[in-house]
Amino acid sequence: MNISSYIIVKLKELEWSTLILVLILSASGLLAIYSIEAQHDSSAGYFLRQSIWTIIGIVLFLTAYFIPRKVIHNLTYPAYGIGIVLLFIPILMKSGGSVSRWIVIGSIGIQPSEFMKIFLLLALAKYFADHKKRLATLKELMTPVAMTLGPTILVLAQPDLGTALVYFGILIVIIFWAGIKPLHFFLLLAPIASMLAAFQTISFFLWMGVIIVVLYFNHLPFWTKIMNFFINVGLGGITNLLWALLKPYQQQRILSMIDSDSDPLGAGYQVSQSLTAFGSGGPFGKGLGEGTQTHLKFLPEQHTDFIMSVIGEEFGFVGVMVVLTLFYLLIARLITQAYNSKFRFDSVILIGIATIYIFHVFVNLGMIVGIMPVTGIPLPFISYGGSFMITSMILAGLSVNMSSVRRAVG
Amino acid sequence: MLQGRNIVEGWRSLLVHGLLVLLFLILIGRYYYLMIVFHEKYAEKATANHIRAVPVLASRGVIYDRAGNLIVDNAPSYTISVIPIEVKDKPQSLEQLSSIMEISVEEINRRIVKNRRGNFAPAKVFSRVPFEKISYLQEHRLELIGVTYSIEPIRNYVSDLDLSHALGYTREINRDDLNRFKKESDYQPGDQVGWKGLEKYYESDLHGQRGFRYIEVNALGQEIGELEDRAPINPIPGHDLILSIDSYIQRAVEKALADSSGSVVILNHKTGEILAYASRPGYDLEMLSGRISSKDWNALLQDPRKPLYDRGIQGLYPAGSTLKPLAALYSLENHSNAKDRTYMCRGSYRLGNRSFGCWKKTGHGKMNLHDALQQSCNVYFFNLIQDIGLEDWAHIAREFGFGKRTNIDIPGENKGLVPDTKYMNRKYGQNQWTRGNLLNIVVGQGDVLVTPLQLAQFAGMLAQRGTQFQPHFVNQVVSKNSDIIMENISPSKDRVTASKDSWDFIHQAMWDVVNGKKGTAKAARQKEWDIYGKTGTAQNPHGEDHAWFIGFSLDERYPYSWAVLLENGGGGGGKAAPLIGKVLRSIAKRPS
Repeated sequence: MNISSYIIVKLKELEWSTLILVLILSASGLLAIYSIEAQHDSSAGYFLRQSIWTIIGIVLFLTAYFIPRKVIHNLTYPAYGIGIVLLFIPILMKSGGSVSRWIVIGSIGIQPSEFMKIFLLLALAKYFADHKKRLATLKELMTPVAMTLGPTILVLAQPDLGTALVYFGILIVIIFWAGIKPLHFFLLLAPIASMLAAFQTISFFLWMGVIIVVLYFNHLPFWTKIMNFFINVGLGGITNLLWALLKPYQQQRILSMIDSDSDPLGAGYQVSQSLTAFGSGGPFGKGLGEGTQTHLKFLPEQHTDFIMSVIGEEFGFVGVMVVLTLFYLLIARLITQAYNSKFRFDSVILIGIATIYIFHVFVNLGMIVGIMPVTGIPLPFISYGGSFMITSMILAGLSVNMSSVRRAVG
Repeated sequence: MLQGRNIVEGWRSLLVHGLLVLLFLILIGRYYYLMIVFHEKYAEKATANHIRAVPVLASRGVIYDRAGNLIVDNAPSYTISVIPIEVKDKPQSLEQLSSIMEISVEEINRRIVKNRRGNFAPAKVFSRVPFEKISYLQEHRLELIGVTYSIEPIRNYVSDLDLSHALGYTREINRDDLNRFKKESDYQPGDQVGWKGLEKYYESDLHGQRGFRYIEVNALGQEIGELEDRAPINPIPGHDLILSIDSYIQRAVEKALADSSGSVVILNHKTGEILAYASRPGYDLEMLSGRISSKDWNALLQDPRKPLYDRGIQGLYPAGSTLKPLAALYSLENHSNAKDRTYMCRGSYRLGNRSFGCWKKTGHGKMNLHDALQQSCNVYFFNLIQDIGLEDWAHIAREFGFGKRTNIDIPGENKGLVPDTKYMNRKYGQNQWTRGNLLNIVVGQGDVLVTPLQLAQFAGMLAQRGTQFQPHFVNQVVSKNSDIIMENISPSKDRVTASKDSWDFIHQAMWDVVNGKKGTAKAARQKEWDIYGKTGTAQNPHGEDHAWFIGFSLDERYPYSWAVLLENGGGGGGKAAPLIGKVLRSIAKRPS
């Protein structure tokens, strides 16, 4: 098969629906950025830059689609290695104690942590596809956990808790998808839940009750059950103890790591202004260019993380629902395709892509309306920003590529 | 192994689908709640966010004399302000401004701090800036980033009259007043507020109510433009004051006073209207209004002639012989032989081993009450007071308004002092004071202290045969559309009761003071009308005595009473009686 006939075949196979969804989402983002800029004599040129990023993104979408699956499969580990190296660069380039998330080349800043999402996802997919793991024992998780921990620690050093959580989210969903036993899955996640629950007495005791019930009704060696239970109790206790031992400023430092970009007060202001933008938008919005919150610059970070509040203010509830629907269609398709894939490699990649999108959409749309902490997680395709636009586009192209081979489902 | 089969179970796929739906439902719920349920609340918040009300100053009420001639109105004045955030990193702006205005940068910074209303709101730093400086500023505006100017109305003193103490002046409101007024009114830092005199007393009438125009602002508080869909609230101008001051008489008084220090109060004893009011030296209202340099202010404060001191209501002086009618009236009412009592004046009165002199060293000879009043014989009253208790004397003095405020409509009035037994015991100790103190009191020296206004009021009550009245400067407070907001109508108040006979006697004696051959105030005599009066000497330990002359006219055309105090004006009426004579002559010559 020569290249031209390969391309013709691939073009015929191309599922246009994903590309169309992605294009509509990108267009809404550009519309919002246009609206922000149209009112100011701003020379920032966000609209122009984002347009260029979108075009580059579409090219990369197609590239990701046309690269043969085999090539991708073969390049996965080298790519992962390059990603790790790239993550070191900002740490090595750090100046004056603060680590940047960016590698600056000329006038363009690249965030390696964004691309690492793709490399990690591919590496995990390859690992599970190659080793036919059924995940019968917890030991089989060692390698994927280690693969994830590496980049996670590197981004935490930046510090970028949001991205670290994305990496972990990818890992958790993929091992679930790869067939971990429910009990193992539960035991794996239980310590994290125990530590979180420990901040409140009632929730901690309720959670311990749940653990006891689960352990009791499952067949595990007695000592394993006892050990598991006390590990959870112990972690909960230590969490409280450690927290209490911290000085208030240290606690504050940890709290503000959750809110990595700004001080808590600033975040409060951002969210409050964002709520006002959404609320005042009402059912149908104020109309394009009419948002007072947007154009009088009350909205912070309006072109990046808080861009949805521009859409909310100017296009109202209806506008928000349209965007939500587009995202739902995009992600729900990915889950279905992941299930329908003939090969495990494709399936894991697809569910990983779905995970990245879910995480970004839910955390971003949640934080701008005050139900998630402000963590600096952008909205795919819509938020201004080159690295994430490119990452999102490559992921979308990859998803179309991976969904081309289906298993016969009865 | 690219060809590894996908073995994921259906339930796992369903669970992930379920999670997706759940998360989206949470989002939809949250957005519905925000954008549909609480839409109105947030819509209001968004509106409040970007609309700012900009105050529009109300013009302060103007002040007229009784005939409607303007005394004080408003004139535009230039104010220079600085926007704190814009000059923060631009010291060259302030340096330039400092050299234009010839004031140190530190002083400018001090004023910015003092008048600061926020980072983006202009803070006033100079008032009453001459136009030349403003045009210079305008030319160099590009080098003066963050420096703005505006036009504000300030007080303009139209009249040539020197009514400084009565009018008072306005000044920038200070922090204390700002807090005090905060509850009831809408003052802001930098506002002018009445500081002294009528400006202060009638502040709430004169001030008016500021209006607002609405502008759109951005998150930095910078103006975007006028709001079209919200009509401005126009300011309500302050009310005008129509004074009782008669400019013609005031001018006559000022001319007669010339450069003398002292005080003249002329009032209409039928209505209580103050017709002329002078306290000398006065001060330059133009200089005090708005912002005064600390150099000028210190010069005023340290001037030995005390120009800031309102002698008319604050000056406390011994009343001297002007108080003799008090004892005379008491005697007439309480001693059956009052008119016929005689005492011999040999120029002094002995009490124990002390001698109390009469002003006439050679003595007046045999005196009755009438002659003693007319010639102001101290010895006669030294004898008379022996038959009057201090309490009785103090009582009648208080009935005539001494020892208490007249409640005239300018702030800062002094009460004066009427000594009674309690006071004397407190001051000198129980039984430590003697009849010698009493002798001083009856001739208005020693512990008795009065203000010129109180003596004018006393003269008016004598003229009115005891009827009280309320002295006042303002006849009417009138709104801009000529509604009368307030009118000072002197209510018939208490009166000092005495028989007609006694009043006739007092009037006759006071007529003789001016018109009699031996009267002490012949210089006040008028050809066309009858003038009544009483002279007095306020002993001055620091120099020449102060001269008093109080009096009244019963002429229907001129129901006037007055008190004149001339500092260092000499004893026995000295230059005071001639001064009022001059004023009265010019009143009689008034062109109709």
